[in-house]
Amino acid sequence: MTGSIVVTGAARGIGRAITEKLAGSGPFSVIGVDIAPELTFDDDRILPVQVDLTSDDGTTAVADAVDRAGSPLIGLVNNAGITRDSRLVNMTDEALRAVLDVNLGAAYRLSTAMADLMSEGGSIVNISSRAYLGNFGQFNYSMSKGGLVGLTRAMALSLAPHVRVNAVAPGLIGTEMAMGIPEDVLEKMVAAIPMARMGSPEEIAEVVWFLLTPLSSYVTGHVLVAGGGRSLS
Amino acid sequence: MNIHRAEPVGSDWGEVRAELERAFFMARAAALAEESFVFVVHHDDLLGRRGAGNAMVATGLLSAARTAAVEGSRKGWTANVLAYDNDSDPGQVTDWAERLAGDSAGVTGELIRLGSSHLGKALP
Repeated sequence: MTGSIVVTGAARGIGRAITEKLAGSGPFSVIGVDIAPELTFDDDRILPVQVDLTSDDGTTAVADAVDRAGSPLIGLVNNAGITRDSRLVNMTDEALRAVLDVNLGAAYRLSTAMADLMSEGGSIVNISSRAYLGNFGQFNYSMSKGGLVGLTRAMALSLAPHVRVNAVAPGLIGTEMAMGIPEDVLEKMVAAIPMARMGSPEEIAEVVWFLLTPLSSYVTGHVLVAGGGRSLS
Repeated sequence: MNIHRAEPVGSDWGEVRAELERAFFMARAAALAEESFVFVVHHDDLLGRRGAGNAMVATGLLSAARTAAVEGSRKGWTANVLAYDNDSDPGQVTDWAERLAGDSAGVTGELIRLGSSHLGKALP
């Protein structure tokens, strides 16, 4: 299995862990995409592309990077995401649009463009969230991450058998985003997780690896919840 | 009554976002009035059978309703999703939507599926 793999939201957290996992796991050209200026890597096997994925120019820039990488595109991980949390009664129009455009619209636009480049087949993994099952104060985020599930299913049907499309729904993961949660709230959240801890970005990277590679060659249209059992407790 | 029926959309992201926005406007107004609401979607769209645009709308609304239900449970209003299929009687769809948007008898955060096309398929 050789070729190029694109990872969005690659500067931090889960996206960075996925990018570094891929670069260290095989003969891949890994294209790390993010709008953040801190998009730098020590590993020269990772090609950073700093773009705004909510624009057509961003999609074009990623396609150009795939072309420069010089090997066929075999994978895409749509991980870029933002939050603008508030209760539904207080949620602004802007908060809805911003979250939908980044979390769902950009993934849709990029997936459509990248699927056309997977001439030798491939795998797309969308990073949804356990919030797609519902989470207080996240109407917009839930809507976007639930929309990713629909995108996953529709593209799994339309791209089969050439390209597989799956989603991962992480629960509470120890990223910068989680570290911004007040300590007492975080303790309660962790207490509700049967695994009794937050997940790590590296653990999500392993799940993505499974879905990107032939390890999951008969899996498509699936949502894999990686939340330490939180959806049951 | 607070009922939003998802309209078919094409492949353009602007259409998808506009449809999700319309549902949001209805849901927010309902929440502000502390009233229950329901989203109505086509079952095929929950499984992605009628294109990515319609699928993103249907599953986006389902997840949003689940989150709204969490918030509404503290205030006494409900949020649900009703899914119909090609064999569903339009009158029954309306009856069920009005029932869920009115007195849902404590049912909240649920996906209620009319017809039989969901049998043996994935749980959304």
